[in-house]
Amino acid sequence: MDERELVDLLRRYGPLLRYVIAPILPNPQDQEDCLSETALRVWERSGQFDPARGSWTAWLTAVARNTALDYARRQARRYMVGQVEEHMPSPEPTPEEAVLLRERQEAVRRALERLPGSDRALFYRKYYYRQSTAQIAAELGLSQRAVEGRLYRLKKRLRTLLGGEEHG
Amino acid sequence: MGDQGWNRMGGDDFDALLESSLTGLPPKDVVKRVTPWKRAMRWLLAGMALTTLTLNVLNLHLLLPAIGMVLLLLGFRALRRENRWFGACYAVTVLRTAYVCADLVLNTTIWQRAVHASSLANALTGLSLALLFMEFFCLWRGLRAVQRKAGETPRAWNAAALMVWYALLWLLALAGDRIGWLLLAAMLAGYALVLRSLWRLSKELDQAGYAVRPAPVRVSDRTLVLALAALLTAGCACGYLLGSRYPMEWTPVEAGPDGEAAGLRAHLLQLGMPEYVLDDLTAEELAACEGALQVVVDVDDEAVDGGDMPKLRVTGVGVEVPGEKERWIIIHHFLWLADPGFHGTEAIQLRTVYEDLPEGWRSAGQVTGRVLYEQNGESYAAPYYFLGERTCTAGSLPWEQHSGNDVFAAFSVPPGGENCRGYLTYSIEEVRDGYIINGWLDYTHQKTWLQYPAVTALERRLAGSWNHDGAFRTIGVSLQFEQTEEGARLLAP
Repeated sequence: MDERELVDLLRRYGPLLRYVIAPILPNPQDQEDCLSETALRVWERSGQFDPARGSWTAWLTAVARNTALDYARRQARRYMVGQVEEHMPSPEPTPEEAVLLRERQEAVRRALERLPGSDRALFYRKYYYRQSTAQIAAELGLSQRAVEGRLYRLKKRLRTLLGGEEHG
Repeated sequence: MGDQGWNRMGGDDFDALLESSLTGLPPKDVVKRVTPWKRAMRWLLAGMALTTLTLNVLNLHLLLPAIGMVLLLLGFRALRRENRWFGACYAVTVLRTAYVCADLVLNTTIWQRAVHASSLANALTGLSLALLFMEFFCLWRGLRAVQRKAGETPRAWNAAALMVWYALLWLLALAGDRIGWLLLAAMLAGYALVLRSLWRLSKELDQAGYAVRPAPVRVSDRTLVLALAALLTAGCACGYLLGSRYPMEWTPVEAGPDGEAAGLRAHLLQLGMPEYVLDDLTAEELAACEGALQVVVDVDDEAVDGGDMPKLRVTGVGVEVPGEKERWIIIHHFLWLADPGFHGTEAIQLRTVYEDLPEGWRSAGQVTGRVLYEQNGESYAAPYYFLGERTCTAGSLPWEQHSGNDVFAAFSVPPGGENCRGYLTYSIEEVRDGYIINGWLDYTHQKTWLQYPAVTALERRLAGSWNHDGAFRTIGVSLQFEQTEEGARLLAP
């Protein structure tokens, strides 16, 4: 990808990248910084895009989301430097925790596959895109209370599905 | 980990776990669904298609545009704060939805045809058309504003093409019946192309659409749709309840005839006039029978609801009165022997003797009559809501069809009214000897409120329909007799 292609990409996919970044980084300046960082990452890693694993839009979404999350983590760490960081446990999981986490992630993935498409999309809005209840409500034409109710029922269902899977 | 592990986990821990569980690419279906724009755009397109292309069967030409308007309302509601053009679209759609809903409610009343034929309706149709053009113009500008916001070159010519298409359609509508099928097909094809282009435009705008911020709503789309449906249902219920009958000027019937009239009454009874007919005539109508020479009576009991039990008695009476030439007073009387069932609108079509056989008979006075009923022991009477001549073609079979000026009467009787009845009477004078007396009465009864749009029995009758499967049923009864040396003789007893 050359520089002109990067400019084109930003022009064409800028709104999508901003849409993904904004809920994770509410500050407009952070959003712009993160957008530049995301564009750079896309430029650097565009060779890694594999159409077999997902669409171009999905890949861009993932890159933007992960860049924004990294940005937010970095900011949080910077804030904590010199304050309580020395008392915090290491953020890196132990090997045992890592195995447990992978098992849980796989269980959640299987449970999500059993949900209807609309519920799965709602789940991703909340836990992947990190959208606020207000944003979800506006985009789905629902009241905030209705979104909260749907999320509550969704989590309850997921708990049941996850518990059921463990039983099986 | 056992199931207790999941259940033991607190709300925040569970949330954190769910967040950390999603590491890969989002599934394709999720990526398609998570967009601030497509949902509203899809509704707008569906709404535009439904409000324009309609099927004129099973009232779909009314139902589909109403659904389309609701979709447009929801679509523009989501986009109303995106830019001022979409805001204007929303305001216009609110007005158009109100207009469509009001029209749907109006259609449940018997006044809908009169209102639709009025100049006010013409003005409102023009206003509605202007609003439609305004909506498309604002949509076009709104789409361009979205493109501009997303850093794209503003285009959206497809929305502008819709305006051109509607303008052509409007011109064709003015041309009326002169539109050929070929031109109509070309217009439909053009519309399909415009919609397809809009659909493609919405896909092209997918990326720009991420710049759109839907407006928050206090009332969810579902609640709004349910509220609109409830409002519409309530409006239609009120329409059927309050707008299904004519306002009649009922007044209590005055006391019986005085001494002189009592003598005449006794004379007519002696000649064979049924008492129930005699009792209903006004003093003037009774006086017109002074010196009656003979009375001819023909009684028909009809099962108006299609069953075996006769419910409507139609009595034809001819009273010969003295004069230089042969003169008759013709009375067509109807009496409900049982409750009519639904009390909506009723209509009578009267083919007078002088209209049927103008060579032999001429009119010797206007057609008069009234409607009566009883309630709580009191009798009430009212003039017909409508009584007058209308040119029409009538006859159930092709060789029976005739056209001319028949007398039509329309009325309603109130619910709870008992012994509902009425009559029409007129007098005729001989033009030339040798002609029979032949008068017809077609009675149209409204069986049910369940019809949409609502039409009156009179409108139904004027359309010349004999279809018994709908909300109306018509029965035809004749009074036919001839004068012989032995006196009058019924021809069709």
